[in-house]
Amino acid sequence: MISYVHFPVLAVMGIFLGAFLEEIFGVHNKAARQGILVATTGIAFLLICALVKPVMFDGEVISYWMGDHVPVSGYAIGIGYEIDQLGLFFALLVVTTSLLSSIFSLRYMERDGMLGRFYVLFLMLCGAVLGLTLTGDIFNLFIMIEIMTFAAVALTAFRGERGFALEAAFKYLVLGSMGSSFTLAGIALLYLQCHTLNMAQLASMLHGNMTPVSVFAFGLMLTGLSVKAFIVPFHTPAADAYAAAPTCISMMFSGMVNKAGVYGVIRLVYVIFRAIDLPAMQVLLAIFGAVTMFIGVTMALAQHDFKRLLAFHSISQIGYVITAAALGTTLGLSGALFHAMNHTLFKGLLFLCAGSVLYSVGTTDLDRLGGLSKKMPQTTICFLIGAFSISGLPPFNGFASKWMVYQAIYAKAVESGNFLYALITVVAVVVSVMTLASFIKVTQAVFFGQCPVSCAGAKEVPLSMRIPMWVMSALCVITGVFYNQVEAWFLRPAVSAAFNVTHYIDVMMGEGTAAAFGISNVKAAAASFSYWDPILWLLLFVVVMAATGIVIITGARERGRILTPEGAEEDGKYATFFSGEKSLPSHVSGSDLFWGFKHDWKSYFRVMQGAHSGIINDYALWVVVGGAIITLWLTVFVR
Amino acid sequence: MGITILRLLFYVLIFPGCLFVTAIGLLLAGIDRKVLARMQRRVGPPIVQPVYDFFKLLGKETIIPHAANKTAFLAAPVVGFVSLVVLMLFIPVFSFSAFSGRADLIVVLYLLTIPGVALIVGGSASGSPYAGIGISREMVTMMAYELPLILVLLSVAKMAGGSALCFSLSDIVAWQEAHHSMIAHWQLIPAAVAMLLVIPAEVGTQPFDVAEAETEICEGPLIEYSGAPLAMFKLNTALKMFVMTALFVALFIGGIDTGIVALNALILVLLCIVLTVLCMTLIHAVTARLKIEHLFQFYWTFVTTLATVSLVLVWLGL
Amino acid sequence: MFKKMIAKSTAKSPWIYHINTGSCNGCDIELVAVLTPRYDAERFGFKLAGTPRHADIVVVSGPITSQSKERLLRTLEQVPEPKCVVTIGSCPQSGNVFKGSYSVEAPLEQYVHVDVAIAGCTPKPEAVIEGLYKAAEILGKKREAMNQ
Repeated sequence: MISYVHFPVLAVMGIFLGAFLEEIFGVHNKAARQGILVATTGIAFLLICALVKPVMFDGEVISYWMGDHVPVSGYAIGIGYEIDQLGLFFALLVVTTSLLSSIFSLRYMERDGMLGRFYVLFLMLCGAVLGLTLTGDIFNLFIMIEIMTFAAVALTAFRGERGFALEAAFKYLVLGSMGSSFTLAGIALLYLQCHTLNMAQLASMLHGNMTPVSVFAFGLMLTGLSVKAFIVPFHTPAADAYAAAPTCISMMFSGMVNKAGVYGVIRLVYVIFRAIDLPAMQVLLAIFGAVTMFIGVTMALAQHDFKRLLAFHSISQIGYVITAAALGTTLGLSGALFHAMNHTLFKGLLFLCAGSVLYSVGTTDLDRLGGLSKKMPQTTICFLIGAFSISGLPPFNGFASKWMVYQAIYAKAVESGNFLYALITVVAVVVSVMTLASFIKVTQAVFFGQCPVSCAGAKEVPLSMRIPMWVMSALCVITGVFYNQVEAWFLRPAVSAAFNVTHYIDVMMGEGTAAAFGISNVKAAAASFSYWDPILWLLLFVVVMAATGIVIITGARERGRILTPEGAEEDGKYATFFSGEKSLPSHVSGSDLFWGFKHDWKSYFRVMQGAHSGIINDYALWVVVGGAIITLWLTVFVR
Repeated sequence: MGITILRLLFYVLIFPGCLFVTAIGLLLAGIDRKVLARMQRRVGPPIVQPVYDFFKLLGKETIIPHAANKTAFLAAPVVGFVSLVVLMLFIPVFSFSAFSGRADLIVVLYLLTIPGVALIVGGSASGSPYAGIGISREMVTMMAYELPLILVLLSVAKMAGGSALCFSLSDIVAWQEAHHSMIAHWQLIPAAVAMLLVIPAEVGTQPFDVAEAETEICEGPLIEYSGAPLAMFKLNTALKMFVMTALFVALFIGGIDTGIVALNALILVLLCIVLTVLCMTLIHAVTARLKIEHLFQFYWTFVTTLATVSLVLVWLGL
Repeated sequence: MFKKMIAKSTAKSPWIYHINTGSCNGCDIELVAVLTPRYDAERFGFKLAGTPRHADIVVVSGPITSQSKERLLRTLEQVPEPKCVVTIGSCPQSGNVFKGSYSVEAPLEQYVHVDVAIAGCTPKPEAVIEGLYKAAEILGKKREAMNQ
């Protein structure tokens, strides 16, 4: 029995080995291909889950030196893996997403060719993101980002026979490379300064010792990681890439790839530079987060493609995560991590639903779909669960995390006396309502209403595609109802790990290193929230539902009959009311909804549409300008 | 143990749960219609008219059209009703609160959206294009009033909390008992006016009933409903009247406490009647239905400004 | 008790759906006049519904033109039971001055059962109210009959 300290490395290496084996055995042999895929992602899932007990529950932080190259006289020379609770939290998201996505892809991708190559890239993407969350070495982190970006670009272009997939991949390639270059430049500057690449050692050396060069490096790295997290104004490739990639990949983009960026930002700001207690840093990130959530959701309202709409919602939800993480409070970071986790669950679920619609109808254009709830009842239920979760309706998980986020932001406002945070609270709530609006639009346009001719042949998707959807739906409900347990088991360890920098340094560099550099932890107040009790609420709901049900059932014999249509479609009594006309197939499609709202906002939408010009030069300029703003802000305010 | 469960069941089923909410909701709806008629110099229907309407609809056939999704079509009104009743359990009746300490402003804000979403899902499930237009308008209405509503809630929370975070409804009521009612503090008067304007949009009475405009889009989301589900939806509208006015009382007039639960409940009902007449009947009697873009503009400019003024005043500590 | 309550309520809460089948608008105006403050039919619980699914009483005016006949019958079918059909004015009863025209298909009685016919060209609002009130009573009886 090998010790669990080897598990993280085995998980990462296993996935990369799987990619290699796919290339050798999987190109022509379907069974081998699928077997290797599920086996590697499954093994990684099990290995990472096995770490939950020692790391999450017992509070151990695993340090692992590759080839046993331990630090020599206080300098890290080898590549080290360091698995603390924060990293493991994101690693859990990664392995869950990749396992479910691989199961979904088995049938979903069956109509495509070149599947051997596809799965090589698929596994490279999984392995890269997993390695990124587990590594303790900043150059290793960069390498993982590079593998991730190029695998993602290639996967975006996978269905390249459709022209826009190539275009999307090109955009992603250019902007992704810019992000990587920024990161690399930052890392190079840090290496010049500190002569080390180990994150724990960097943290110990940088704290309280920020030179202009290291602040500049911080700015560059923050920009680079923000590009990976698709924060506005770096979000532009995301919409195209999510829409163009095969859906199981879109799910991984929103579930893992942008989480990798979020993880990088949190790790950078909380641990390596430990700048989160500076008010200027908080304000910068909070503003970026608020702008991201607002622009994301308003752009989503204007979309009429199912997957593109989901892509803009991904951007918007990441805004919540960044804003909450920016607060630097325990409650804020708990809310951020919880929302990141929930986003992985519900957005993955929604993407899978979109993929199912694409699989059985062949289009995701909201204006050409409709009435699928009768053809695909299970997909409809899953979609509704996902939609209610992302809109934050109680008792689904989106509510619990959004409510933590609001509370955290408003508590911050009250505590710091900064009116800006009160405004951000308002923005967050309004964005939530707009999210609801745009999912109502999808519900109406895709699942309810009348069925156009093009959807007449739709069928429910096969079982292997429904299993991941049901698993995610169940998780959405469970994490929403039992959020106290989630908080105690996963969030609290992860949050305290983010604040407990001394332990992070000591585990990696030897006991007493942090004290030697004079580093102490920020005292963060314990999170307090007790006013929302989903179990009580659910219980009340059930009791009242039962009472209503009893009244309905006992009264049923005395009331009028419930008539359901049976037989011929021409039966006038059951036809939809069309002011007396014979009912025609007419369906209110996505673009026709919210007329009054769009009318009032038309000047805003005109500006936004002009800004999202689709020209790669403009987008590159945005990245440069955004990077300049971040760097300037940091050099002026963060010392 | 047995006693506790019995007491909880009493809360849920009788007071302030199902029975109380239904009775008072229907009473308010009846008073609304009667007073409206008197304002127009008509005799008007009897006050129990909504009860007649409710029972009549129970006795009608329920037709489920071809295009409808049966489950969602039938479940939506029940879900709306149940969530309204549950919401009422969390709103304190002055010092009495069935589930004390568990009511939170943000939770209330979100629970308030569930009946709207139920209406939207039900309408959408009916498959009628009129309902499609109706749900679109309902959703825009929801977006319109949500912004002022959150501003109002935040200013009340800030007033009650001072320099601490206070999102608990029972704490807000307790604060009002210790100090004065919120309405007695001049900074919050704009917020109270904004809240009074939010109530009719939430309930969906004229001039904010664009979603159910019966003369242009044939009752919007309700178009295909008949019989018992329609009765539930009509009941939900009546319940919303009560829940929203009771929320207003808890937020702004929470300082009057006699110490006797029955008397408190009576005062609450009286105040709700006054508020219903003030913010729904009166506005209904003197206005005509707005267009949806005007409704949105009205809420995001006029009402939002009122609420923002309050928030800023409270924030400055004046 | 429940049954009695429902039957009683059915008589006291009749909602009207109005269909114009080529009427000259005279009867339609009188029907609206019935709801105005002067005659105030709402005191008996009358209310205009926006869709046939909500209706109890369908009020038909006009001489049933060929174009509107099919639409009228389809709409009548969509009204849930118990329901009453009331004709208002002479046109749907006999065709009135349009009788014999190639495009008029009155009387309505040929196609559906008419519960109350209010004659006159146009009937006075008082007559309309009385007719509607009778229809409401018939409605209550129909509901009671459904109970048995």
